Amino acid sequence: MENVLTVRGLKKSYGKQMALAGIDFEVRPGEVFALIGPNGAGKTTTLRIIATLLTPGDGTITFLDHDLRKEPDLVREKISYLPEEAGAYKNMKGMDYLHFMANFYARTPEEEKVFVDRAVAITELGDRLKTKVGTYSKGMTRKILLARALMTKPVLAILDEPTSGLDVLNALEVREIVRRYVKEGTSVLLSSHNMLEIEFLSDRVALIDKGRILDSGTPAELKEKHQAKNLEEVFRSSLR
Amino acid sequence: MKRFLNLLKKEIKELVTIQLVVSLGFTILLFNFIGQMSRKEVQKAIGVQTISALDLDASASSQAILTGLESARFKIERIEGKTKEQAIDIVRGGESKVLLVIPPGFGDSLKDLKPSPIETYSYMRSFSLIGARGSAIVRGVITALNNVLSDSFLKEKLPGLDPANLKNPIKSKDFVIVHDRMAEASASEIAGMVSSQSMFIPIVLMMIVMYSSQMVISAVAMEKQNKTLETLLTVPIRRTSIITAKMLAAGLVGLISAGVYMFGFQGFMGGIGGERLQAATSQSGAVMRQLGLYFDTTGYLILGAALFLAILVALALAMILGVLAEDFRSAQNMIMPLIFMVMIPYFLSLFADINTVALPVKIFILAIPFSHPFLVSQNLYLGNYGMIFGGLAYMLVVFIVLVVFAARVFSSDKILTMKLRFGKKRGATA
Repeated sequence: MENVLTVRGLKKSYGKQMALAGIDFEVRPGEVFALIGPNGAGKTTTLRIIATLLTPGDGTITFLDHDLRKEPDLVREKISYLPEEAGAYKNMKGMDYLHFMANFYARTPEEEKVFVDRAVAITELGDRLKTKVGTYSKGMTRKILLARALMTKPVLAILDEPTSGLDVLNALEVREIVRRYVKEGTSVLLSSHNMLEIEFLSDRVALIDKGRILDSGTPAELKEKHQAKNLEEVFRSSLR
Repeated sequence: MKRFLNLLKKEIKELVTIQLVVSLGFTILLFNFIGQMSRKEVQKAIGVQTISALDLDASASSQAILTGLESARFKIERIEGKTKEQAIDIVRGGESKVLLVIPPGFGDSLKDLKPSPIETYSYMRSFSLIGARGSAIVRGVITALNNVLSDSFLKEKLPGLDPANLKNPIKSKDFVIVHDRMAEASASEIAGMVSSQSMFIPIVLMMIVMYSSQMVISAVAMEKQNKTLETLLTVPIRRTSIITAKMLAAGLVGLISAGVYMFGFQGFMGGIGGERLQAATSQSGAVMRQLGLYFDTTGYLILGAALFLAILVALALAMILGVLAEDFRSAQNMIMPLIFMVMIPYFLSLFADINTVALPVKIFILAIPFSHPFLVSQNLYLGNYGMIFGGLAYMLVVFIVLVVFAARVFSSDKILTMKLRFGKKRGATA
């Protein structure tokens, strides 16, 4: 089956500082592919390049059959990106925000309604959606942002630390939502520091450090290969 | 188009806040209030004024002066049987702003052609210009009386001669020539009229540039500060549409805000000047028309185009500055260079003539795109169409260059990585 995303020899530098030194990976349809690594490893840079925010330095990125570098506008139609430190427009009411975002993707008012209804269901915020985003807690804001990212059922959802800053219950809820949408056909590329989260969510994992992918595979494969009990030990072992 | 309109609607909604509406409403009310207050003061100053008078002479001549003042719509409060010092004290406690003291022997001294001075005491109860107007009017009346008295003396002593020719043997008539047109007026009067006619141009420009630029810079900086920019840049809308929507929204709201501000300002000026100003304007208007110093439809269109282009340049520049700003606070500082770029030609247009300044200064002024709208009105009057269209073309080129640059910045990594951080090292995203 054709890969949703294929990354080959991806390089990126900021001035003299090399952020990505040539990485390769692919995301298959209906899978969760996770990038794990320490701060400054190149996870966010990779996600931002695939989300069309940054331009790749070298290498190729193929999204479905499209060259991401040549057709960024087309790619944006089918992906959604949830940055780690994302915010929503504080002066907008939750419902207005969802309509505003849905309007960029929907071709008809009916489709817009479908997107918004789906987002409302994800957030479970009920009447709070009639109040301004500025009054929401961090968990509520993160949920509305996740709902925004998933409401169109994108081909590829790029989630950077999706549960960042959330309490245990909210984080659990977010993970369940992500899994549900993966079952419905959305592929997910995510990054996280939380190894438990990665084990729960991911089908395959890539270990990244200093702009290079050290190893990749399913959590089970990696644990077996590195004779480790969990992904944290796998990560420590690959760094050695 | 649907996506663009979606974004434009959001941008306008973000800009038109209750705070903006309240602040604009308050501005209109404030200007109208000050205008009305000033109008009342002006009316008081030009209305019937009370003057206290101590006539220590009680001659026919002193009576004639006081009667003359009464006929000039002054209300005279005569103080009888008091000394000068007592009169000064009495008036100090009253409402009268001026005390006239006609000295004893005034009438006789006039007959001897050695007139004693009339003493005028002005009570300054405020330091406003309008407050000091009373004594100026009294002086005007005294001057008129001087003329009448001296004319009658001259007629008596030198019958058959026109006193006016004796007093002013050399007469002058001032004419002003603009191109092939000529009118009777002084050059300083015409210069004053031209500058007062085009006074609104820098004010309008300043207001719109400040409002709109502030809005654009803040709009981009707020997207950064609230962490919404990254999401916006990944939705399916062209980067040029994002720039255009932000600029258009800020331009529209800026124009409306400036219009509202000008409406308030007009109320303020109307309040101060009132009917007298209108009458003066209609008189001077005739002279200005005679000299061709007025805007026809083409003139207004050119002036409008110059203002419009200047606004576009300001918006494009503000967009780039907004990208450089890290957050809302630094965005407030970013507006300063733009304001200076408008202030420099504004003040230079007030105090210097662009055509006579040194060449390097001239090049510097003309290089600032905002100089051209200031120069358009003068150049229109003088028929310097080369300068006008050169200026318009220059502003258009600057606008295109800035927009292309802004679009490139928005389409590149720079939108996320380009920052101006004073005194700090630039960090890279990982």
